Amino acid sequence: MGSMKKFNGWLLLGSAGMILTACNGDDEAAEGTDDGEDTNGDVVDVEIFQGKVEFRDQFIELSELYEEENPNVNIEFSAVGGGTDYFSTLRSRFSSGDEPDVFSLAGPSELNDYEDNVLDLSDHPAVDEAIDGTLEGATDGDGNIRGIPFQQEGYGLLYNKRMFDEAGIDADEILTYEDLEEAVETLDDQKDELGIDGVFALPGAEAWVMGDHLANTYLSPEFNGDMMEAYESDTVDFERADEMERMLMLQNDYSIEPVLNMDYSQQVEEYFSLERTAMIQQGDWVHPTLEQMDPEFANEHVGVLPLPVEDYEGHIPVDVPNYWAINEGAEDDVIEEAEAFFEWMYTDEEGIAAVQDKLDMIPAHEGFDVDEIDAPIQQEIYEYVLEENTLGWIFTGYPQGWGTDFGAHVQEYLSGGRDWDDVIEAGQEEWEQSRE
Amino acid sequence: MRNRSPAFWLFIAPVLVALMLVVGVPLLMGFFYTFTDWNGLGFNQFVGFEHYSRLLGDDRFLSSLWFTIQFSFVSVILLNIIGLGLALIVTQKLKTSNFLRTIFFMPNLIGGLILGFIWQFIFINVFGQIGQFMNVDGLQGWLSTPTTGFWGLVILTVWQLAGYIMIIYIAYLQNVPGELIEASQIDGAGPVQRFKNVTFPLIAPAFTVSMFLTLSVSFKIYDQNLSLTDGGPFNSTEMVAMNIVYTAFDSNEMAYGQAKAVVFLIFVSIIAISQVYYNKKREVEM
Repeated sequence: MGSMKKFNGWLLLGSAGMILTACNGDDEAAEGTDDGEDTNGDVVDVEIFQGKVEFRDQFIELSELYEEENPNVNIEFSAVGGGTDYFSTLRSRFSSGDEPDVFSLAGPSELNDYEDNVLDLSDHPAVDEAIDGTLEGATDGDGNIRGIPFQQEGYGLLYNKRMFDEAGIDADEILTYEDLEEAVETLDDQKDELGIDGVFALPGAEAWVMGDHLANTYLSPEFNGDMMEAYESDTVDFERADEMERMLMLQNDYSIEPVLNMDYSQQVEEYFSLERTAMIQQGDWVHPTLEQMDPEFANEHVGVLPLPVEDYEGHIPVDVPNYWAINEGAEDDVIEEAEAFFEWMYTDEEGIAAVQDKLDMIPAHEGFDVDEIDAPIQQEIYEYVLEENTLGWIFTGYPQGWGTDFGAHVQEYLSGGRDWDDVIEAGQEEWEQSRE
Repeated sequence: MRNRSPAFWLFIAPVLVALMLVVGVPLLMGFFYTFTDWNGLGFNQFVGFEHYSRLLGDDRFLSSLWFTIQFSFVSVILLNIIGLGLALIVTQKLKTSNFLRTIFFMPNLIGGLILGFIWQFIFINVFGQIGQFMNVDGLQGWLSTPTTGFWGLVILTVWQLAGYIMIIYIAYLQNVPGELIEASQIDGAGPVQRFKNVTFPLIAPAFTVSMFLTLSVSFKIYDQNLSLTDGGPFNSTEMVAMNIVYTAFDSNEMAYGQAKAVVFLIFVSIIAISQVYYNKKREVEM
């Protein structure tokens, strides 16, 4: 009996091990057959590697559509998780020699890292068609364009239209900080009638919401909205530090508690889509999530308000988060087919129609039709783009990692462990240090 | 070292070669890179000991190291106490002891990432709801302060690993010869004395194994840290492993991150080796 007992645990361990190996085996088998197919016939394989997992399925549908018309091309989309993971995977793929043919880059600092690997796309039709101001992040030191803008993204305060109506607030009249404050107070007074836990849901656990997005809004004017100016700057002044603090505290004071352990999914799914809060500071990328939770809410009840910035009231921060870059080291026919694919995607009538049909996004190219954008947040922000009421994103020109570090200081401020001047000073010092 | 026959070397050659390729070579390469400005793709110049001297003034690294030391200290003690406690429970003549073993061991089968998310839910939502219901402030806002983040991580780790440590103790407890126990009983030793003077010295090797395991595991924890707190709030619960990953992949300073990893390796080795040495001396041979 005693020895039986002893082996119980090992049995469990063993079975766990077997399950694990079984999973691995499956993966390998699947890959194996994939490769087998590819070698048949004269099909050109183009491997596209990118970091937007949320668009993966739509991309695959899009490429299938393209492959139907161009049977000689096989486009393989692979995607890895958000931000950090993608770039570390890309890096290890490059250092191990398993380079993708096409990959996405976020801005000047990545472009700088991969400058020797990406093709000059200055003459590509999709670059010609790009909307003014969308190419800055993909321009190298010699003025050559090294990437095709993928789409645009914008953020602001997403609000619940139904609640604004009920509270008798006209969102169109909110421009200045004072207007916003008044609206927030009105909403706060009617918390119980509206059935909300708080006017805002500030995700204190997400350093990027504060360090990248909120800070960007108040830093953009001092760099003239130009990410290259930020990228080349040795210092940061924080001219609008007080304005930023004011906006942060407004969100914090009227937010659902506790702020510091609230994360993105709680903010968007649990609080905003379930109508437990009236406003969140987020961007158009939340649309697919909202739609999954509640299509009616996502498509009818969500509006966008600009974060109030003095002298820039009614401006929304919009820019290109990702560029497509083509690997210069790929085979000539692969490069040719990759270029043709992007030409189709961004300049061909059919391609544009397919993209608009499949992807909910803010276009970065002329030739897209604002009425064809189904998603309301995207459409509303695109209208700001058309009216040129936008603020450029400069956080892609931050020193690497600066945004999350600064976000962490802001978290410390929210916890009461640090005063605001100290936070700003730390931000300035870290910026200068990494630019030495 | 004693001379071995050629057959000895022949038989361990496959393992040696594999180990060299996946551990030895990368280790040496990594060590080499710490003296360069390597960014993951290539390097331009040698920088000597610059990375190492910079480490000493890196507050964030030092605070993550201090956090890790505190965390390891607390969790090693709790893990061994609870692991041994569980082992003692399930080696009693209980009807349910087989069932209990399985239950206690279960958390170990769940991956660290998933566990982290499960406990995040428990700490934030379940604790929050209970706290609200019973009006206990202490249960609300877990993981939103450095202290609750610390204890959250300790609870998670202890919960996950205690079952594994239990298995080790069970193995040794069952090897305690019955006649020694019986002899002590005849000599009139009570349960406490019996445990202290007979069982405890005989299971000392289990301590060596468990202390070594728990110490090295809690020092190197990454996935639980990532999914439970992600270093937050404001990097106060960031452990060394996470700080290294952050430096290498977020700040994009590969060589500097590598230098941190080398220092970390040396640090962990010193602790682990000295601890094994010390515990070995205390063991009783039968």
